[in-house]
Amino acid sequence: MLVAMQVSNMVVGQYYPGTSILHRVDPRTKIIAACAFVIVLFMVNGFEGLAVMGAGLAAVIALAGIPLPWLWRGLKPVLFLLVITLAFQLFLSSGEELWRLGPVPVYRNGLVQGAFLTARLLLLVLSGSILTFSTPPVLLTDALGRLMEPLAKLKIPAYELALMMTIALRFIPTLVMEVDRIIKAQKARGAVTSGGGLLVRARGIMPVLVPLFVMSFRHADELALAMESRCWRGGRGRTIRRKLAFSKKDAVFATAVLAVLAASLWIGRLQ
Amino acid sequence: MRLELENVSMVYQSGTPFSARALEDVSLTVEPGERLAVAGPVGSGKSTLLAILAGVETPTSGRVIHGTREISRRQTPPPGSIGLAFQSPENCLFEKTVYSDVSFAPRRQGLDGLEVRRRVENALAAVGVDPASMSQRSPFSLSIGEQRRVALAGVLAMEPRALLLDEPTAYLDPAARRDLIRQLVELNEQTGVTMVMVGHDMDELARFAGRLVIIDGGRKVAEGRAEIILTDSALLARHSLDPPGTVEFCSLLSAAMGDQVAPALSEEQAIETLMQIMEGKC
Repeated sequence: MLVAMQVSNMVVGQYYPGTSILHRVDPRTKIIAACAFVIVLFMVNGFEGLAVMGAGLAAVIALAGIPLPWLWRGLKPVLFLLVITLAFQLFLSSGEELWRLGPVPVYRNGLVQGAFLTARLLLLVLSGSILTFSTPPVLLTDALGRLMEPLAKLKIPAYELALMMTIALRFIPTLVMEVDRIIKAQKARGAVTSGGGLLVRARGIMPVLVPLFVMSFRHADELALAMESRCWRGGRGRTIRRKLAFSKKDAVFATAVLAVLAASLWIGRLQ
Repeated sequence: MRLELENVSMVYQSGTPFSARALEDVSLTVEPGERLAVAGPVGSGKSTLLAILAGVETPTSGRVIHGTREISRRQTPPPGSIGLAFQSPENCLFEKTVYSDVSFAPRRQGLDGLEVRRRVENALAAVGVDPASMSQRSPFSLSIGEQRRVALAGVLAMEPRALLLDEPTAYLDPAARRDLIRQLVELNEQTGVTMVMVGHDMDELARFAGRLVIIDGGRKVAEGRAEIILTDSALLARHSLDPPGTVEFCSLLSAAMGDQVAPALSEEQAIETLMQIMEGKC
């Protein structure tokens, strides 16, 4: 429940500063690699393929020097989803019965399926987290903007979309801090924090939601004014100070990723 | 109610590269019924101190005691005992009318309609808002100054035993600042509610505080009676603070006359000093 959350402890893909090779690889390479990883993740069948991909991902994590507690904190918000997936697969399947948890039978099929899906989901979340852990948000948007450049020819405002993403990312910590503050202030006034029926809970959110909305609109208004007063007029002819350039590192990284993906596909397909 | 901090330290996001130390080994006692001011430069940790004192933030180490009760993450202060207003409390207005916003906390406390009405009217009157004309207006249609008053009334309506305020006068115009401080002092004198105010405008704190604590770099660097701390220009300067205007005036006067003039904490006191000097001259 929103109001009971420890908002200040949330890290959803928060950048972890570092100087590892993964931090220095061109962000475009990383984005493409992550996309390829996810696509292959859903093509691979069988645990062997997943194991190869997992090993590859573990190597990347080690390379990036991201400490395990940090990784764990990033995983916490999706843990619930993982557990639910596993539970559904475990109990809502049929076939050979393995053992009973009280009155509930556990089937071999369900166990295998559940473990497979959970592992796949875990790798999916991890691969995305690694991208955002090792790339500052600004670089991420620059890269997305560049990757979407060809779309501009189709009259899709690629630059504006990228900028909207940067702004959204930029305001996440600000809003998290503000929500935290509003929750504390309203709690001190006795706002509902947890428990009660659905209606009571929904009403309990109002003292947090209304101020948050008011404040978000105010931020948006002020930002628009500030941008206009500094002559912002879209992406037309805008140059970028940090030029993105592919280098040898990218070739090495891309080759390594390709090799891992090919190996897992090959092993996975053998099934 | 007596509020106590014992060797409180606070580290935000500890164990990450973003770890930031906000408070270091701070001990503090707020006596029942007193008016204490916490001053310090921007980013010194005074807002964190207030949040911990209120029991809404849990320190990394150290103890927080309200009266006889130790406060922790599990053992939060009983609802209504502490009135807390963060900076710009008007950001937390959310109801459709002034009346329903101010009455939110008493209604949550389960008081009956008559008592709720009495509290709302008292609270609004205490911050100088006319209940008759303002009650049914939307809080979002008011000026920032009026919104601030209404938000503070929403905290006062709980009739808390301690009132903790983080820069309650920020972004208000000079007249509104002066009024608000006067109303807070009156409220404290009439009801005996314990008050802690965080701020860095020394003129204001001089008018408000009985006792003063200075926080700098997360440490408590000075504590004492307001007239002693506020007249110690050297101490204040060390912590990027200015003495009140009247104290500055007296020290300039001393320099001009080549004679020691006792520092004054209020305009009235300064005028008295000046009269004495003029009488002596005639």
